[in-house]
Amino acid sequence: MIDNPSGPAINADPQLRTPTTGPHEYTGCHRTADGKLVDTATGRLHSMPLTVLDTRVRKGASGKKLVMVIDLARCDGCGACSRACSKMHFIPPDRQYIPVLRMQDSEFTAPYFFPKPCYHCDNPPCTKVCPTDATFKREDGTVLIDTDRCIGCRFCVAACPYGARSFNWDPPKEAPEALAMPYSPETGFPRKVGTVEKCDFCPEMGGEGQLPACASNCPMDAIWYGDQNEDTVTVRSGRTEKLSKLLADNGGYRHLEELGTEPRVYYLPPKNRMYAPPAPEATHGHH
Amino acid sequence: MATTEVAILPSEAPAHAGDELLVSTFAPRWSYRFWVWGLWLIVLAGLTAYIYQLRRGLAATAMTNYFSWGIYIVNFVFFIGISMAGTLISAMLRLTGATWRHPITRLAEAITLIALLIAAPMIIIDMGRPERLWKVLVYGRLQSPIVWDVLSLATYMAYSALYLYLPMIPDLAALRDSPRSFTPARRRLYRVLAARWTGTPRQRQLLDRAITIMSVAIIPVAISIHTVTAWLFGMTLRPGWHSTIIGPDFVVGALYSGVAAVITAIAVFRWRLGLHQWITLQHLRRLCLLMVIFGIAYAYFLLNEHAGSVYTREGRERRLGELIFTGAYAIQFWTMVLLGLVAPVVVLALTRMRSVGGIVTASLLVNVGMWLKRYIIVVPTLAAPIMPPQWQGKIAYSPTLVEWLITAGGFAAFALMYTFFARLFPVISWWELEEEEREQLHRDPAVRSASLALAGIAAFVMLVGIGVRQAAAADTTRPSTQAAGATPLVALATADEDGKRQVVATVTLGGKPLENAQVAFRLKRAFGFMLLGSDKTLDDGTAAAELPRDLPAEANGEVEVTAEVAAGPNYAAAESTALFPGTPSPANAPLPRALWAPHAPRSLIAAIGITLAVSWGVFAYVLFQLFKLIRSPKGAVV
Repeated sequence: MIDNPSGPAINADPQLRTPTTGPHEYTGCHRTADGKLVDTATGRLHSMPLTVLDTRVRKGASGKKLVMVIDLARCDGCGACSRACSKMHFIPPDRQYIPVLRMQDSEFTAPYFFPKPCYHCDNPPCTKVCPTDATFKREDGTVLIDTDRCIGCRFCVAACPYGARSFNWDPPKEAPEALAMPYSPETGFPRKVGTVEKCDFCPEMGGEGQLPACASNCPMDAIWYGDQNEDTVTVRSGRTEKLSKLLADNGGYRHLEELGTEPRVYYLPPKNRMYAPPAPEATHGHH
Repeated sequence: MATTEVAILPSEAPAHAGDELLVSTFAPRWSYRFWVWGLWLIVLAGLTAYIYQLRRGLAATAMTNYFSWGIYIVNFVFFIGISMAGTLISAMLRLTGATWRHPITRLAEAITLIALLIAAPMIIIDMGRPERLWKVLVYGRLQSPIVWDVLSLATYMAYSALYLYLPMIPDLAALRDSPRSFTPARRRLYRVLAARWTGTPRQRQLLDRAITIMSVAIIPVAISIHTVTAWLFGMTLRPGWHSTIIGPDFVVGALYSGVAAVITAIAVFRWRLGLHQWITLQHLRRLCLLMVIFGIAYAYFLLNEHAGSVYTREGRERRLGELIFTGAYAIQFWTMVLLGLVAPVVVLALTRMRSVGGIVTASLLVNVGMWLKRYIIVVPTLAAPIMPPQWQGKIAYSPTLVEWLITAGGFAAFALMYTFFARLFPVISWWELEEEEREQLHRDPAVRSASLALAGIAAFVMLVGIGVRQAAAADTTRPSTQAAGATPLVALATADEDGKRQVVATVTLGGKPLENAQVAFRLKRAFGFMLLGSDKTLDDGTAAAELPRDLPAEANGEVEVTAEVAAGPNYAAAESTALFPGTPSPANAPLPRALWAPHAPRSLIAAIGITLAVSWGVFAYVLFQLFKLIRSPKGAVV
């Protein structure tokens, strides 16, 4: 059968849009003490070559142009993406790589939930200003951080208009599993004081043909991830669509397009929503 | 008038100066000791705070992921601002031939160098990993405004050091030759620094040429340092920072606060060293007038900075405006306007610029106001992020004791270095004063050609790589079979229909074609399987779906198609997989040279390279003049 370890079997009628019912559980992956990547739900081992800091790390997955689509009509604000990401990356509780914001563009428009990962822009304001090439754009579209090179000037934090980056102000208390791993910009472990971190599109998952932690744990199938060269994106349940068709049929857009950063994350507008929107007083407002 | 010690040089002093002696050769008075000890105490407190910060990380400050820059950056910008003005004023006055400048040029130039020596550590203090500073030199990216700032700061520091030193040479020579008793080390210092100056016409000519060239060349360098510092903010997308006015705004603000700092310094030394004869009220008034002019200019810039956003109430700027004019930062903003712009004018108007006390008060007010202005530039923008601040806790910034101690330490270190400078070296440029009084001015006409200075302009060039596509090869099929029995067999092949390629699954059960079986065709993609089509088998057992020829394929040029037959009334589910030719995806183009890429656009490299070559070339030429001065044949040797 189709190899899809992190979700239910393929629905016989793929056109049916049914949200996953049941409690908002997430599975995700974690690393064992000896550095093996293991599926949390099934305990199955993923064979994961340990990445070494070499030029390949700076080039990225060859032939792929990674892209993400977030369907705001499906996102119900459960935060499973955030929790799964935090679990996989052993993120301390004071920061999130993919926070779920509550947005309301103006007084009489509808509020909606807004997961906000790093957009891995094609015209990234962060890599422009980095004085040491510590944060860098790869050929596969992702933007990573080399915490061995970062000098902690926080210019990238100032430059990112989306607030995607977090800084290690304190000496971090890293999880023992993370400390055991050899360092690579593709994992970011172990964290170092005085350096920057952010969402990295889970390159080690991508190397295994797996969706990133957020996409593979979204119970609403709201986060699509795929390869723009192939023009396909996939959700947690395994459903795979043509990217161009998904965007065209649903009026896909990019957030704050006018800034010119050319994000690699598209959003599908919150039309025909499947959830209750956030209460208006809970939203801060788009502007 | 209290008995004071004055730096006067016996041989070249104006006749009316008398024979008084260098201040430091006298036992310092208690007020001086108290001053120095107090400053040392504050500096040590600042150092202690920094050591604590090194151990604790930047969490010792109040900075957060929202307020990622704080008062360290405010201090950095403030000291860069002060540094810009001292040398610029000296150079401009020199070039315009303002003869009243002579008693104040050295103090102004010293302010520049010492302010730079405080600004540079302040930025290192702000770094998360200060021990990695060398990586900026080894791995530096020319596209980063921080690298521009490093280059500009280094250039300006060298320039201002030389510009301070050159006019000091004759005074140092007089100190070298002075019959006063100095410690041997100090005497040796004067001798080395005096550059074998003996006052020959050749030496005077060389010195004049060097100083004149420097006066011209240092102006664009000084303007560049604060423009580039402004671009640390201007090259981001944040409201309040991303404005076209920010470069000139910083430069004019720096001139304003710099003149005020020069006034304060001059007035203090005039008072403590009893220099009333040489630094007169007229000097202070003229500087004060300069300060007022810059103040009016700065008020104009402030108006322009905010007028557009207030009028249009454009989205992101609106929130920032609310914070500054009526919100959390209103107190700082209006205090800045009051202290920095309004009060000095009021004070000066009331005293008609005739009172030294009034002038000094005004200058102090300006400096406090301009520090607050730097705070208003840095912090409120961070309090108005573009995305709503919902995920990183409270959005407030209140500097901690560590930050205040380090700030105080920086200011104390500034005052301390300035004090020690005044102890070691004469604070008034005596030989220039004397030259002026003798009305013997040499100007080398050949130096007129020394006009230069380009601002570096970065032009953006984007190269797009083009991948090469290969045509698809002939069709091939590789059917797979499964166990016989109640499980149907599925064979996959391709066929052409109306010019389009189709994948056809032939389902047989026990050798006979299976009709009405539901077949789903899936294409293996990077992260999942895409549905190509779903079809029911016809009476010949075939079902088909479109398989476009230009489907992006794996690296080997093949696409993997799986046909799934759903279970039926008397048969189980089955599937079969086959590989077909596709169009191999082009390998990703290597990253082009770009501002955001590791390698800089060639035009940027050229622009920065030319700018540095010119400014360092001029510097080298001036050093060469100094070298010739040192080596020129001696006149009367002491």
